[in-house]
Amino acid sequence: VSSAATVSAGDELGRAVGEPHVQNVGDGAWMVSPGSPAEVAEVVAIARRHRLAVRPVGTGTKPIRLTGPRVQISTRRMDHVIHLDETSLLVHVQAGITGLALEKVLAPRGLSIGDYSPSILGSSLGGIIAVRTPGKSSARHGFFEDAVVGLSAVLADGRTLHTRVAPRRSTGPDLGRALCGSEGTIGFITSAVLRIHRRPESRMASAYVLPSVDAAVRAVYLALREEAAPAGLRIYDASEAEAHFGQTVIGVHEALLVAATAGPTDLAACDRDLVSSAVTAEGGGPGESRLAEIWWRRLHHGEPTPGPAPTLQVTATPGSLRPVYRAVRDAVIDAGGQIRAHVSRFDADGAVVFFTIGGTGSRAEQLREVAEAAAREAGGWLLGARATRLDPYLAAFQQALDPLRIMNPGALEA
Amino acid sequence: MPRSAVDPERLRRELEAICGARRVSQRDADLDVYARDMWPRLLLAHREGARPLHRPDAVVWPETVREVAAIVKVARSLHVPVIPYGGGSGVCGGAVPVRGGISLDTKRMAQLRSVSSEELVCDVEGGINGERFERELARRGYTFGNFPSSIYCSTVGGWLATRAAGQLSTKYGKVEDRIVGLTFVTGRGDVIETDGPARAMRGPNWNQLLLGSEGTLGVICSARLRVAPAPQLRVFRGFEFEDVTAGLDAIRRVLQKGLRPAVVRLYDELDTMINSFGHKSEVDSSEHDARAPLPEAGAGALPALPRPQPADGEDGMVARLLGLARGRKGGLKQELTNAALSRPRFVNSVFGAVAEKVARRGCRMIVGLEGARIRTEVEANLTFQELEAAGGRDQGEEPGRAWLAHRYAVSYRMSPVFRDGAFVDTMEVASSWDHLLDLYHSVKAALSRHAVVMAHFSHAYPDGCSIYFTFAAHASDRASSERLYDAIWKDGLEATTRVGGTISHHHGVGLLKASHMVAEHREAMAILEGLKSSLDPDNLMNPGKLGLAAARMPLRAVEEVRP
Repeated sequence: VSSAATVSAGDELGRAVGEPHVQNVGDGAWMVSPGSPAEVAEVVAIARRHRLAVRPVGTGTKPIRLTGPRVQISTRRMDHVIHLDETSLLVHVQAGITGLALEKVLAPRGLSIGDYSPSILGSSLGGIIAVRTPGKSSARHGFFEDAVVGLSAVLADGRTLHTRVAPRRSTGPDLGRALCGSEGTIGFITSAVLRIHRRPESRMASAYVLPSVDAAVRAVYLALREEAAPAGLRIYDASEAEAHFGQTVIGVHEALLVAATAGPTDLAACDRDLVSSAVTAEGGGPGESRLAEIWWRRLHHGEPTPGPAPTLQVTATPGSLRPVYRAVRDAVIDAGGQIRAHVSRFDADGAVVFFTIGGTGSRAEQLREVAEAAAREAGGWLLGARATRLDPYLAAFQQALDPLRIMNPGALEA
Repeated sequence: MPRSAVDPERLRRELEAICGARRVSQRDADLDVYARDMWPRLLLAHREGARPLHRPDAVVWPETVREVAAIVKVARSLHVPVIPYGGGSGVCGGAVPVRGGISLDTKRMAQLRSVSSEELVCDVEGGINGERFERELARRGYTFGNFPSSIYCSTVGGWLATRAAGQLSTKYGKVEDRIVGLTFVTGRGDVIETDGPARAMRGPNWNQLLLGSEGTLGVICSARLRVAPAPQLRVFRGFEFEDVTAGLDAIRRVLQKGLRPAVVRLYDELDTMINSFGHKSEVDSSEHDARAPLPEAGAGALPALPRPQPADGEDGMVARLLGLARGRKGGLKQELTNAALSRPRFVNSVFGAVAEKVARRGCRMIVGLEGARIRTEVEANLTFQELEAAGGRDQGEEPGRAWLAHRYAVSYRMSPVFRDGAFVDTMEVASSWDHLLDLYHSVKAALSRHAVVMAHFSHAYPDGCSIYFTFAAHASDRASSERLYDAIWKDGLEATTRVGGTISHHHGVGLLKASHMVAEHREAMAILEGLKSSLDPDNLMNPGKLGLAAARMPLRAVEEVRP
């Protein structure tokens, strides 16, 4: 691409979104902040004409090295709540609004996005939808994508699509799902219609001590099988509990289970009792409830959790959670390392085990590799995993929609 | 659209090389059977003994995913279409071989391979019959929870291909809510598997892109599906509401509280009357329910199965509908029925008046909960309280038991209607709550111009609900019946799109709704076209369906020739 062409692309971008919202970031690249879906469509059209890659920014993925001629599109100016339908409990929002900002709009009306972690909701909703990570799930409200009822997006050819809103439909594949998790390669998401929830009448938090992590996992699934639907669940092993609560709260082989239930008061109490009975059945008993309260405050009220961020996140199905935990733990200890873990983000698919591995530098890297190998071996899925066997179909699908491959090329080819 | 030109001998040889001679057929009887499904429009011709216009060139019964892949590869090499065929119970013409080709019957792939109690996931082949699937799960103490009224004659693969829903979907969800993974033979002849925790894998969720593809992208050979423990407790209740508006409001309140009844059905005034719940003499729940044990009888998630309905003496639904309106027990004479159906506007208005004046019972709601003992009890109490708070009058258990006992019967009572020269069909649409009443009134008005119409609301969600319209009409001959049939659907679907509803909640698209797909999806059709070109680049998988550009065709292209 000649520099003359690049300069003229800059001029065109300026005309499309307004000079103040275009920035030349060097290396033949532009950063633009469109103010509307129509402007996004214009930017994509300009990118197509000038063979510039369209890069959504602020997605939170592993950084792809942004090189070459490109337009980085930020949705920060597209952060409006377009329509709040309190009858259907649906909200139509622009892609740039963050989950937390939306929550601020909803809260005074007694509404909420749902029991998703604030660490997730800090991102823009477009990013949350476009990039899939295992944390976007809740036992009560399910996988975040299931809350997406409608999407609007700009395709590579400049067309804007709106998937129409219905609670369920039987009119071919779920077309909006092509954009969920597509990391900007299928289209650029400009707005979404999301299911929201009424704030629960009651919320209850409780803590339990069980003889082992195994027993705690079994107790959780026993309760879920009795149809308990907690708002949150977490299992700590002894070292993790000590690291998070600053003191020895359980015995060295024991596990701490914290649970929050929510809903109509009778139902929240019922779910709490189901968890409690399951704990008893697995040989456990009540723990200090203040621990559950601390956990909930940290999760939902921004109080920091002490210590470093977890080293490794492994998603496992209900049946492989225990093998994954044991295998990774044993492998790291056998290699002479230290490891602690908690299990969280339970949903129908399973849960996520968050491991924190001791050590620094190349030693840490070595232990991490040991842990990753053990996790895979035991049937776990590492953060950022992809189903590569479908790549030829994904590529052909992208090719059909975007023959010039301008939409975030390379993003899903890790 | 041109029919494929294929040498039948060569086709037979190639297919026999894969499956052996006994699992390939080109006999007339077989080709006739695989020419249609249960689309009522085709029944209009079938009733006159017409030979079908669109027959496959061959029928084949593969037993393994490898054989399916080999068949698709042969089809590609000969450039012949492949039409996956399950139970043939579809009501939209989705299995009609409009360009000829190979009808690929999946019913010999019918094993429930495993059920994992730890994962609560089963592995099942696509051709298994729905009833057998549920029975085998029930024997092991589980349920999939999908109970469409076609359960005796539909397959699991067919459910997945059309995004089916069952009567207990409010708790268990539609099939797309229960999917873990698919083994799928694409239109390129590859075998792909989509398993893996969806939330942990980057890239689009292929399950959701393949479900609902109605055979246009490939063949569903087996699936990993979520199961639930068989319910320990089942509680049913009837409620009465002043009118549709009050009833819908009550359903919405229940669902938005986070309560999940297995079933909530609200019948509009006419439907309430036709279904005439509480005919106690007719209902002996214990007898009808013997094979669907209630919790006290042990494990049981099985559907209540109707006994074979006597073919003669059974009132046609339409006759019964008219009889009831006149306060008579029995049916009317056929001529009288037809005369009334020829004047639908008059009948609809009479029924409206009768429903309000005579019945004075408003709208009937059936609500049922099932599941784990303790939670179901708590949820049932909260649900019933909420319904009463919303103005519902508790009618006790009987209406619920009556519904449970007869819930499959209605779908198998249609033949007398067709035999009498009339026709009946159903249209299932859906929308979010904010315009659900608009949808109800608009579609009802559109259909009422041509047909006698009743409706119920089922399959409720926190954000919306589906509406199930049943309509019956009559015309003097087949040609005018077909014209009338097409006009009813055109007006009904256009009314649906106009007020922002979806044209299908769970029956699918097939040929019937293909020409309305662009109105339904507009620019998003680009996504569907993209999937098609990726998975079936030669456009050989079930051509003519889903409104894909290569295959858009007017309804007259599926008209049939007289003998």
